[in-house]
Amino acid sequence: MVRILYIEDEIEIGSWVTDYLKARGYEVIWLKSGEDLEEYTANIDLAIIDIMLPGLDGFSIGKRIKREAGDLPILMLSARTAVEDKIEGLGFADDYLTKPFHPEELAARVEVLLRRYQKNDTVLEIGHLKIDPKSMLIVDKITDKEILLTGKQFQLFQYFIRHLNQILTKEQLYEGVWGEAFMEGDKTLMVHIRYLREKIEENPARPAVIETIRGIGYRVKA
Amino acid sequence: MKKLFQSLLAKYMLIIILAISLVQIVYLILAIFIFGLSQGIDRPYTSDEADYDVIEEQWHKSAAQLEEVSVPEVQQLFEEWQEKYEDASMFWVNQDGDLMTQSDADREIPNEWTAFTVIAYPGNNDSNGFIVFEISRELFKTPVQIAYDRFGIILLIGTIVFIFLFIFLSFLFFRGIRKRLLQLQEAMEMRDVDGLPIHVEVKKQDEIGRLQHSFNRMVEELKESRLREQEEEQLRKELIANLSHDLRTPLTKLNAHTYEFAKTELPSAAKQSLTVMEKSIEDIDKLIENLMSYTLLMASKYKLDLQEIDVIRHTRESLATWYPVFEKEGFEIEVDLSGFKQSKWLVDPLWYGRILDNLLQNVLRHAASGKYVAVKTESTAQYDAILIMDKGKGMQGISDQKGSGIGLSIVDMMVKGMNLEWRIHSTDRGTVITLLRLKQKAGTDL
Repeated sequence: MVRILYIEDEIEIGSWVTDYLKARGYEVIWLKSGEDLEEYTANIDLAIIDIMLPGLDGFSIGKRIKREAGDLPILMLSARTAVEDKIEGLGFADDYLTKPFHPEELAARVEVLLRRYQKNDTVLEIGHLKIDPKSMLIVDKITDKEILLTGKQFQLFQYFIRHLNQILTKEQLYEGVWGEAFMEGDKTLMVHIRYLREKIEENPARPAVIETIRGIGYRVKA
Repeated sequence: MKKLFQSLLAKYMLIIILAISLVQIVYLILAIFIFGLSQGIDRPYTSDEADYDVIEEQWHKSAAQLEEVSVPEVQQLFEEWQEKYEDASMFWVNQDGDLMTQSDADREIPNEWTAFTVIAYPGNNDSNGFIVFEISRELFKTPVQIAYDRFGIILLIGTIVFIFLFIFLSFLFFRGIRKRLLQLQEAMEMRDVDGLPIHVEVKKQDEIGRLQHSFNRMVEELKESRLREQEEEQLRKELIANLSHDLRTPLTKLNAHTYEFAKTELPSAAKQSLTVMEKSIEDIDKLIENLMSYTLLMASKYKLDLQEIDVIRHTRESLATWYPVFEKEGFEIEVDLSGFKQSKWLVDPLWYGRILDNLLQNVLRHAASGKYVAVKTESTAQYDAILIMDKGKGMQGISDQKGSGIGLSIVDMMVKGMNLEWRIHSTDRGTVITLLRLKQKAGTDL
């Protein structure tokens, strides 16, 4: 079970979020301040931290957690909306959500983070594909056969899976997968997406897994 | 007193005094110099012996005193004089014009008669012819005259050198002042990383040095005032951030409760009310955000950080986050960012994103009835533009949902703050907002 550490001093908001996340099947450890943090950081999968806290503030707590456990995803959840706060927060945290928020948005962001850090072992079902996000094993449900991807196709698809439901522009994709600046007019990405679709789509002429968002980019929706 | 000597005025006075007394000083120096030189020169005759009047008087006297005018007598006279003036020449010409006798006078007659010559009649009678005493004037010169003759040119050069030395010194003095003033001016124009002038190094404690001290003091004060301003800015931002935080916390609680409430079995009218409440909470949230930004913008405390960014790419990324929202609301979304020739704009990426957010937010809230949003590029010879189009009821129809005013005011301030322009064309069949960047004249893009 995924364990989430949640630090929030407001009782009402804290209990509401805790209940909500528990209802979504997560185990939640709710602390009202950053004290006794060390007991919990060792075996958690994600941390949700408020900023305005009694004693140590959320920024300091988050930075400390990131120092001790670099592979622990951190989501800042705060009513501080100033750009400076967001920038400071995102300096170490993986996401920054401002209050008031919709609980479903919080849940979605938590899932994205768990997926990105591969802490989530629930198997994804996208169209006719079954994907294990940890091992990136892709199985065609219709034929029940594993789909094997080449290096770049695999990296590309993995990038999509880590940014599930997110529309990715061609620049973001190219820079995320190839690690180089995208040059306008470069066809490399298009070619790779075409090959990838040929392998994973049921009908590559009408792609359902990798959606084209006209004028913007591509998306893989869960 | 020390101050006086460090003063430029003191130096200047010194130069002026030097200038006025230079001639006298030079004379004095020359006099001492020549006197010194003349000490080393031997004159052949004493000053009494070299007196022309005395020689003339005595020659006449000697000639008159000749008792018998005969060759031996005259010869003897000549010998007597020769003893005294060994360089002199003497001769006697008688009445008939015959040269009777002479003493050391066998020289050629020069073209120009410069020698000192005294003619007398022997026995004071012109019937005896005349005797002549002749001696070179050179021998009678004073040592000073001799020294002047010998060293005159050196002295002249010395004087000229002296005068030029003075001119050179005054030149150095004024050049020194000029150089330091120019350096000060340059230093005043230099800017530190914080945009303030930098300290200048004070080397001398004169008037310019004091000016440099004052300048440094001024820089110090500027720095302090800048620091105070930054502290105030920080305080203000902190206050706004805290205020916004304090407003949002109860809003979040409200949100939590409506959410929980909505999960229970409720009559449809109550559900309707809850939806309105949820929407209102969202609106208040956006309003708080806009109000805070507006306050900061009005006070010019919203930091503008201009960077050259690819505006097409930025727009596309912003749209990527907005797309699902429009999709959820069932909008038809048209995106055509075919690009500009020059898609790098000098803007603040955060501000630009904020403008797009505010405009798209407006479409979502006020033009939802049209179920259409389009973001396109337009390029003409005069401008490059990003167009945001909807098919709502137009700006006139937005009165039922106030709050767009402040959002658009923010857009207006940010657009102008980044030297861009924007236009709104709104009819009852839709609104087109054009965000444009004018091209520079003669087709030279930035």
